[in-house]
Amino acid sequence: MKKYAALLLLIAGTTAACGVDGGAQDTAPSARGPIKIWLSNNKEEVAWGTAMAEAWNKAHADQKITVEEIPAGKTSEEVISAAITAGNAPCLVFNTAPAAVPQFQKQGGLVPLSDFADGASYIEARTGQAATQYKSPDGKYYQLPWKSNPVMIFYNKEVFKKAGIDSENPPLSTYEEFLATSRKLVSSGAAEAAIYPAPSGEFFQSWFDFYPLFAAETDGKQLVEGGKAQFDSPEGHRVAAFWKTLYDEKLAPKEKYNGDAFADGKAAMSIVGPWAVAVYGEKIDWGVAPLPTSTGKPAASVKTFSDAKNVAMYSACRNRATAWDVLKFATSKEQDGALLEATGQMPLRQNLPATYGDYFAKNPDYVTFADQAARTVEVPNVPNSITIWQTFRDAYSSAVIFGTTPPAEAFKAARDKIDALARQA
Amino acid sequence: MMAVASARRRLASLAGPQPVGLALIAPYAVYVAAVFAYPFGFAVWMSFHDYFFAAPGARVDRPFVGVGNYVAALTDPAVRRAFLNVGVFLLINVPLTVVLAMGLAVALNRAIHARTFLRVAFYVPYVTASVAVVGVWLFLFSEGGLVNRLLGPLAPEPSWLVNEALAMPLIAVFVAWKQLGFFILLYLAGLQNVPRELYEAAAVDGATRWRRFRSVTVPALRPATLLVVVLATITGANLFTEPYLLTGGGGPNGASASPVLLMYQRGIEQGLPGMAAAIGVLLVIMVIALSWLSRRLLEVR
Amino acid sequence: MRRLILLGMGALAFLFPFYYMFIGSLQAEPDTSMAGLVPSPGKLTLENYREINEEVNLATSLLNSGIFTGAVVACTVVFGVLAGYALARLRFRGRGTMFAILLLVQVVPFQLLLIPLYVLIVRGYGLADSHLGMVLPFAINSTAVFVFRQFFLQLPKELFDAAHIDGAGELRLLWSVALPLVRPALLTAVLLTFIGPWNEFLWPFLITKQADMQPLAVSLANYISNVAARAANPYGAVLAGACVLAAPVIGLFIAFQRHFVSTNIGTGVKG
Repeated sequence: MKKYAALLLLIAGTTAACGVDGGAQDTAPSARGPIKIWLSNNKEEVAWGTAMAEAWNKAHADQKITVEEIPAGKTSEEVISAAITAGNAPCLVFNTAPAAVPQFQKQGGLVPLSDFADGASYIEARTGQAATQYKSPDGKYYQLPWKSNPVMIFYNKEVFKKAGIDSENPPLSTYEEFLATSRKLVSSGAAEAAIYPAPSGEFFQSWFDFYPLFAAETDGKQLVEGGKAQFDSPEGHRVAAFWKTLYDEKLAPKEKYNGDAFADGKAAMSIVGPWAVAVYGEKIDWGVAPLPTSTGKPAASVKTFSDAKNVAMYSACRNRATAWDVLKFATSKEQDGALLEATGQMPLRQNLPATYGDYFAKNPDYVTFADQAARTVEVPNVPNSITIWQTFRDAYSSAVIFGTTPPAEAFKAARDKIDALARQA
Repeated sequence: MMAVASARRRLASLAGPQPVGLALIAPYAVYVAAVFAYPFGFAVWMSFHDYFFAAPGARVDRPFVGVGNYVAALTDPAVRRAFLNVGVFLLINVPLTVVLAMGLAVALNRAIHARTFLRVAFYVPYVTASVAVVGVWLFLFSEGGLVNRLLGPLAPEPSWLVNEALAMPLIAVFVAWKQLGFFILLYLAGLQNVPRELYEAAAVDGATRWRRFRSVTVPALRPATLLVVVLATITGANLFTEPYLLTGGGGPNGASASPVLLMYQRGIEQGLPGMAAAIGVLLVIMVIALSWLSRRLLEVR
Repeated sequence: MRRLILLGMGALAFLFPFYYMFIGSLQAEPDTSMAGLVPSPGKLTLENYREINEEVNLATSLLNSGIFTGAVVACTVVFGVLAGYALARLRFRGRGTMFAILLLVQVVPFQLLLIPLYVLIVRGYGLADSHLGMVLPFAINSTAVFVFRQFFLQLPKELFDAAHIDGAGELRLLWSVALPLVRPALLTAVLLTFIGPWNEFLWPFLITKQADMQPLAVSLANYISNVAARAANPYGAVLAGACVLAAPVIGLFIAFQRHFVSTNIGTGVKG
């Protein structure tokens, strides 16, 4: 049969490309049976996921989970997108980037979770108010908000001491203070760079320089809201000017670092999520501070970017009832606790500090992040999401990092383009 | 006898004088049809539609947009910049590759001592995975890197990889260095085919070494040179890994972006395969034109 | 002598980054300063390699790489020689078209074909997670066909005329006259095509999700993206991974490079 299919394809040649292939399974929503899931290849997450699958498999011999890994890095969205097109995506991917959801949805690759009887209610009960950020423009949930890595400022206490800066309560809350501290760090020779966000041009790099500070400065605005770009505003320009000063005064390098600048002691500060506690915990005497704002907002009200990874169900899945049950099992209070324990990443669940009181009592390092996790901003769930981010990044690179275009001009041009992109459905 | 001859003639008129050639090339033709024709036809078709990749069974609208994608690509300053960048790249990379590869191959061919060592040395960059080699170049050419330290006050400002005027030339040199082993091998294999008598005759005529190189070696290597030029052009036009890894996604400010990098961004990352396919088709046309041109220039007998 | 010195200096310049890569892979702590260039016994360690050995199943990965690369090289050489010979030496209908297609195939960037090809091979041919699916897009390297054609073209015409007078068939001519003469080119092609599949990451990675099907380049890339950030010396881990990947190829090159210089066409023409 396959041979004939191949032959047919050969003969049909390009004409085959035009047709829409059939073969969707509409009996799937209530079907049960074995399913396949993908995990990110991050070591701790694999350990958690394997244990989760084992626990499930023990109780459900007829609906076993098979676990496979995909890389955590840049290639994961491409792999998922290709698998959607080929129709061999797994049932669940525990590593779905919110920014990629609009595209996967447009591809017809996702199962709306709201279509399950308890879909929306489960998601909203677990995540609370923050869940609405993950709703798609059609009002349905195509992703389950799973875990976040709210980013904050990590700093190297030893380097701060060397520069003669208070390492317990460093002055970092206003832009003025942050810049003054940065100048001291570099001019004293304590570090080559005050802070070292990746200055490269990939679309997602803005999530770790401009966007967190923009979230903090605007009290939680997304890059695009109500179909309009939000960054060409006084707040957006203040954030841009702040970073531009850092680049102009060579407090932040314009050249990509090959390695981890913070770990290597090249940079005194870094914008990171709670994963950093485990990574730098032993090697560096670190402290954590909220993001700076122009006026120095109190720590308890500073918002940040969530850097969330979610779970989505893919339309190639045949046994969707099982998949939905597994999804609920894997995001139960117990499994969320296991995830927190194994990875230090924050389940997107309301009242985090209270729910896992024991854990936070034992691991005080994570309390600050858990607290911050309650005040996060997501990437906007809009059409052309990735094109929008790339457009923004290109404007930011030329205006802020390399200073070849005046920021006002670059942001205005990017705003016009992005407004047009966000309008297309 | 007559019958056989006339059958032969008929076959010849149908398949050419040496029909066995068809049999020899058949596997390749089948292969091209099976794994290349469909995706490529698909890509060309895509370039005329507002296309995106959808799941099997998904009902989606992919309207015909004519040359819309081509217009969008050609009016996009980033795309124009990328084509310009690749032009700069080729102008530096191809001559450098030809001169260095030919010179080194001739020298290596005559070297008697340390042959293995020398050949391996020039071959090593070619076999090493790009990720690692790029890492080393970053170390060499970064702002505080070895090269700038050696140059001292002569170091460029801004530094190599973040300098809009230097990033692309540096990538061109990098690729020449990385690929040189490949091209040296091509020339070395070509040199084995140069009849020794030609050199002997030239030596009898009392030609100097340089004259012998120019009047015997270079012409004899012409087919190899054509091969090198065409392949270097193709490699250069398909430039992707280096701007992706070495200059962090075509930086600074798009000064080292290549058409293939933009195809990757538009088509695979941003889900606009129609526009990516249009860029690809334009690139293919450009390379074919360049290959044809080199053939015309180099294959005159 | 002067030439040798120049060549030697060039070779050292070429080798330097590789030397740095090797030294870097042995460092316990990342050291990007000048001092890092000189190995000091106290700072060297095999730790980076030990970690790779622990994390990556080297035997399985090597086997997969071997199957993948071996199949690609075999197909490339056998079918490439046939096609290259036909294009260079035989006159048949459609030769011009095939040559144009050959150029076209090489010129088209792989990124353009990536997803349609993936869909074709996974959905059309049903070859996900199989060696065949891994090999298929690379099975015949058009560049190699092009290289073979070019080398067959370089052979002196008289050789073939003489053989034709002897009444040799085309296949015998290819086998006993042309092939021995292009042995250098053959070995060159083997060495050149070896690199592609050996270092190829994206395609085998897309097509295989099961860890026990993945070739070394994919396992190492996974290792690099995964462990690199966590290792004591992330930079060293990356470099060690690259060294492991490069070592077999360099070994192969050293072993074979002797063979393809000793054949000389001069003897073929005279004898």
